[in-house]
Amino acid sequence: MSRICIEGLAKSYGRGTVLGGIDLDVAPERLTVFCGPPGSGKSVLFRVIVGLEAPDAGRILVDGADITPLPAARRTIGYVPQSFALFPHMSVFDNVAYPLKLQGVERAEIARRVAQAAELLRISKLLRKRPSELSGGEKQRAALARGILKDARIFILDDPLVGLDFKLREGLMEDLAEMRAELGATFLYATSDPLEALMMADDLVVLDGGRVADANRVDRLYAEPRHLRAAELVGFPRCNVIPGKLEGDICTTALLRFRVVAERAPAPDVVVVIRPEQVVFADGAAHPPGAPGGVGTVQLLEDLGAECVVHLAAAGETLVTTAPSRAVAHLDVGAPYPFVLRPRGISVFDRASGARIGSGDA
Amino acid sequence: MPDIRLLGLTRRFGSIVAVNDVTMTFPEGTVTCLLGPSGCGKTTLMRMIAGLEAPSRGTIAFGERDVTRLPARLRDVGMVFQYPVMYRTLTVQENIELALQHDRRFAHDDRRRRVEEVLDVLHLSDQRDRRMAALDSGTRQKVAVGRAIARSCDVILFDEPTTNVEVHAKLQLLRAFKEFRTRFRQTIIYVTHDQTEAMTLADQIALMRDGRISQCSPPRELYDYPDSEFGGWFLGNPGMNFIEPSGERDGGVVFDVFPHPLAAPAGGAARLRAGIRPEYVRLCPPGSAGAVPARLLRRAITIGGQYLLTLAVGQARLKAKVAPDQGAALPTDLAVECPLEHVMLFRDNARLAEAPRALAARASVF
Repeated sequence: MSRICIEGLAKSYGRGTVLGGIDLDVAPERLTVFCGPPGSGKSVLFRVIVGLEAPDAGRILVDGADITPLPAARRTIGYVPQSFALFPHMSVFDNVAYPLKLQGVERAEIARRVAQAAELLRISKLLRKRPSELSGGEKQRAALARGILKDARIFILDDPLVGLDFKLREGLMEDLAEMRAELGATFLYATSDPLEALMMADDLVVLDGGRVADANRVDRLYAEPRHLRAAELVGFPRCNVIPGKLEGDICTTALLRFRVVAERAPAPDVVVVIRPEQVVFADGAAHPPGAPGGVGTVQLLEDLGAECVVHLAAAGETLVTTAPSRAVAHLDVGAPYPFVLRPRGISVFDRASGARIGSGDA
Repeated sequence: MPDIRLLGLTRRFGSIVAVNDVTMTFPEGTVTCLLGPSGCGKTTLMRMIAGLEAPSRGTIAFGERDVTRLPARLRDVGMVFQYPVMYRTLTVQENIELALQHDRRFAHDDRRRRVEEVLDVLHLSDQRDRRMAALDSGTRQKVAVGRAIARSCDVILFDEPTTNVEVHAKLQLLRAFKEFRTRFRQTIIYVTHDQTEAMTLADQIALMRDGRISQCSPPRELYDYPDSEFGGWFLGNPGMNFIEPSGERDGGVVFDVFPHPLAAPAGGAARLRAGIRPEYVRLCPPGSAGAVPARLLRRAITIGGQYLLTLAVGQARLKAKVAPDQGAALPTDLAVECPLEHVMLFRDNARLAEAPRALAARASVF
C-alpha cells in the first residue's frame, strides 16, 4: 500500500527553521507533488523522508510502521535527486547496481536484479552505455531503476527536471506519468515550477516557509485554495491578487463588486484572487449588459502558440489573463481590451492572515 | 543599417558541424529570433555574426560590405549577453553615457539627448543615479539593453538575455524590449531556446536544428504552417500530435482519429503521418458526424485553467486541450473530432502541400 504519514516533523539549522512542524498524509499509489518557492523546505523534507537527514522532532510512518529511526539504507524508498545524479564515469549497469554493491550483495544476485529492473524500465539494451550516451528519458529511467532495485514501493523525485530544456521536460513528464502507471507505486515529486506541479499532480502539497500552506487533490486545490499562498504558488500564469473590502456579504474591489459565500468568519480587509481564465476577452457584442468588467489596456502580449498571456492595466490594477491566440494575437501594446469578470469561483482571503474566507457566488 | 546576409555559412569543431551551410537574410530594422534546442548551433551562428568565431566556410555581409574576415571590434555590433557586462561602481546613467563616448556619430548635445531618450524608453529615468551594484538582475539587464541600443550600431545581438533573471523581471524586460522597438529600429538578432519569447518578440523566427535552419518564417506562420514535424513539435505546449496510419482501405489511408479514410496523397500512404495541434481536437457528443470514440487516459490542469487530456483513439494517442468548463468533469468514454481543416499531412518529416481530404466526403458529392 505504502501510505506515508508525517507527524509534527520539524528541522532547524541553527536559528533557521526549515521545517516548522509538518503534518501530512500522503495517499498510496498516487503522485503527490510538493511545490513551493526555493527555500520552502521541499528538499529537506525529502531528505528527511529518505533518511539522509534526521528530524529534530516528529516521525514518519509508512503503512503504520515508524521508519524514523531506520538508516537510509534500510528504508525501501527510491530516491532520484535533481538532474538524476548518475555517475558519469560509470556504465548504466554500474550506476544502477551501485546501492546494492554498497550493501554487499553478491555479484550474481546483483546481475539478476539489475536485469530485472532494466527490463521493467525498458533499458536492458542500455546497460553497457555511459550516462552521456543516453537521452533525457533514458537517464530518468536509469535513475528510477536504482530505486526499483531496493524493492521500493515509494519513489521520491526531487525536482528531477530542473534546468532541462523546455521540450525535453515536456517529454519526460509524459514518460514519467506512463512509468508510474506501470509501476503503480507511491510517488512524491518536488518542483518549484507552477505549471509542472499542476501537470504532474494527482495530489498537491504547497509548502511555504517550511509549513504546509495547503494540501488537497489537485483540482480542488486549484479551484478552492485554503490559503492565499497556495493560490499564488499554484497555477500558470500566476493569479491576480487584488485588495478589497468585505461588508456583510458584498465584496468591493477596484474592478468589481460581488456577493461572497463565506465559509468562515469574514474580515473587513480582504484580498481577492482572480484566476487568469476568470478575466474573459469580450470583443464587440460579446459583453453582456450589466456584467462586471471593463476595458483594460494591453501592456504585453506573450504568445504561447495556442494561447496568449495578456498583461493588462485596468482600473489602476495589473491584470493577467489568457485568451486563444486566434482571438487576440493581432493586438498591439496599448490596444484597448474589453473584458468581463466571472465572480463565480473568485476566492476571497483575509488580508492579514491569508486564510480563505469564501468565494464569489454564481 | 543594411540587411545582414549569410551565404553558405559553416562552422566545424573537429568532426562536429555546429553550423551547417546556412544561407539567410536578416532584413534591415527587423527582429529575428534564432530559436532551437540546446546544441542546435544558434549561439555559434550568432558568435560568427559578432566576429567572435571565425567561420570554416561561407560569407557574412552587412549590406554590400563583406565582413567575414573583419575583427569583432570593427564590425559595429552591439551585444547583450546572458550576464550583463558593465561597470558596477558607476551609475545607470554613467554606464549608458560610457557606451556612447566613442560613438563619433553623435555630437555632444546629441549624446545627452540620446541618453535621455534611452532612459525614458526603458523607464530608467528615476533610477539614473543608482549604482549598478544596488540593482536587481532584471534592472541591470535593462541597463545592458540601454547601452546596446544607445549606440547607433548596425545590428544588436542578444544572447539569451532573460536566462538569469527571475520571472517578474523577465516580463519587465520583454515589455522594455517591445517599447524600445517603437522608437529604435536597429536590426536585431536574438538567440533563445524559449519559444514563447521568440513568438512574442520576433518579426521572423529562424528555427534551428542540427546546425541548419529548419524554417524561417514570421511567428504565427511558423506556428500555423510548420514545414516540418520538428517545427510542429517544437512550438506549442505541448507540441503537435502526429498520428501514424493504421492501414489502407478503399484506396484511401486509414487513420484511427478520423471516421473515414483519407484520400491517399500523391506518393501513397508510405511514411505518412497526420498532424493536428491539441487545441484543435474537439470533444463532441458521441455519435456526432466526424467524431470517433476516445478513451480518457489522463487529465491535467494546464495553462489558464484549461485541461490537457491524453486520449486513446484506436491505436493512436492524442492530446487535446479543452476549456476549463469543458474539462472539469469528464467520463472515461468520450468522442472526439479532429477537424480536417486543422490537419496537415507529413511525409519523411516534411509537410505536404496537399490538404487532407476524406474519401467519404468526396463520395457524397455524387
